[in-house]
Amino acid sequence: MVNQSHTVDIPQPLKDALRKFRFARRNQGSAAIVVKIDKSKLVMEEVEQFDNISIDDLAEELPENSPRYVVLSYELKHSDGRISFPLVLLNWAPSSSEIKMMTLHASAFLDFQNLVEVSKVIEIRDGAEGLTKEVIDAKLLA
Amino acid sequence: MSAPEIFSIAQTPVTCHAFNADRSQLAVSLNDNDVQIYARQGNQWKATETLAEHDKVITSIDWAPNSNRIVTASQDRNAYVWQQTLDPVTGQMAWKPTLVLLRINRAATFVRWSPNEDKFAVASGARAIAICSFDPENNWWVARQLKKPIRSTVLSVDWHPNNVLLAAGSADMKARVFSAYIKDVDKRPSPTVWGEKLPFNTICGEYTSPAGGWVHAVGFSPSGDVLAYASHDSSVSIVYPGGPTIYNIRINSLPYVTLTWTSEDALVAAGHDCQPVVFSGSEAGWAAVGTLDDTTSGGAKAGAGARAGSVGRLNSAAFNTFRNADTRGQGQDGSGDTELLTVHQNTITSVRPFEVGADGNVARVSTTGVDGKLVIWDVGAVSAGGLAGRLGGMRI
Repeated sequence: MVNQSHTVDIPQPLKDALRKFRFARRNQGSAAIVVKIDKSKLVMEEVEQFDNISIDDLAEELPENSPRYVVLSYELKHSDGRISFPLVLLNWAPSSSEIKMMTLHASAFLDFQNLVEVSKVIEIRDGAEGLTKEVIDAKLLA
Repeated sequence: MSAPEIFSIAQTPVTCHAFNADRSQLAVSLNDNDVQIYARQGNQWKATETLAEHDKVITSIDWAPNSNRIVTASQDRNAYVWQQTLDPVTGQMAWKPTLVLLRINRAATFVRWSPNEDKFAVASGARAIAICSFDPENNWWVARQLKKPIRSTVLSVDWHPNNVLLAAGSADMKARVFSAYIKDVDKRPSPTVWGEKLPFNTICGEYTSPAGGWVHAVGFSPSGDVLAYASHDSSVSIVYPGGPTIYNIRINSLPYVTLTWTSEDALVAAGHDCQPVVFSGSEAGWAAVGTLDDTTSGGAKAGAGARAGSVGRLNSAAFNTFRNADTRGQGQDGSGDTELLTVHQNTITSVRPFEVGADGNVARVSTTGVDGKLVIWDVGAVSAGGLAGRLGGMRI
């Protein structure tokens, strides 16, 4: 699948940071990297990284009115006792965000997903209420 | 005790009005899609500007005194925030509108700025209240909705002085107090009598009146510790949440649709009875004190056991004509005097504090009504008609 036009550029430092995040060894807890689009420069940039953060705290940290891409390394406890750290892509897009930002965010999402090479995507459109442990567990264990 | 100042603004109903900080300008909606700005010139109000942007009738206007911004809400489901900026073309200050996306699918009915003027609340027919705050990152106004447990149109809202709590009166016959705490805009509020640690959309209280009826108007007292609401069953209720006690005052006249507090123990209510009435009381009890409209009330009707409101609509000349024809067989003698005895000739739609006196209490209030008049009343000029004797020593 080839994308013909790219609305938002992804700079090399961000690509390196994302690769580093993917291959980092995880011991415990969930880690996340948050990426936003700079509307004026039309470039993606990393906002911050979290290590060993709970999902509720992550929901607190994310802005209520702006879309973000979140690559989450989630501490998943399986029913047979195993712990694995799958990568999940969160499309954080609260409906109260500005329309132009939402459009940019949606158009560049496929590009971002191809870059990170993560297949599991969770869309969170209603803000902090929609990001809970239960939602992620339901998606990953289904 | 000064006489009320009466201005005839228009021949059409005045839906809502708002003054600027120094009361030199007035923004009104004359039941159409535009805001008319009037400037005071001597003893008259002259129309200066028209703000046209809405597509349907403007239902409510509020003018923030400190930041000089106007917010308008309309039946077209939108709200606009107007700011005065220097227009580069004409070189004068012009009002520039900014659209606020409320995401409601029914008309907006009422809007009020919060005390710190960083948020405003829009009541709507979509069974929700949109709390709007400015998001500097994206440079636009963001709306969050209070939905549960409102079951019908919200008719009026009022902010608590702490900038977080909001009272709302609704057509589902309830008056409620919500927490409208917005994360990045408000600091954590200190505990009040209404509760503590209040995330967005917490209900701090839900009240109704004995006979039910739409709650037309709500108001917090100046300290925020007392809530008053007027409902369509012709009653005014005052709630002390600490008690918890609710005082319900039944009145004999037509329902009130708007109210405002003048001090911690007195408020003015007005509505379909075409005259503003003062209520006063404390945690021990509340009662109607009298009316601000004293034209001929003391004289002719005193013998009929003048109750507050006895000169209202139910005692007008037109009503009397029919009553005479019915009970006394007196035909219409062509006097045809259809004028009401009150100053306002039709329902008062909005009463707002106009001037704050030296003691911090509201000294004058302004009212506008369906008759197109703007009247400024002196709150102290209460005439109680037949009740004057007993209330002689009471401080208003």
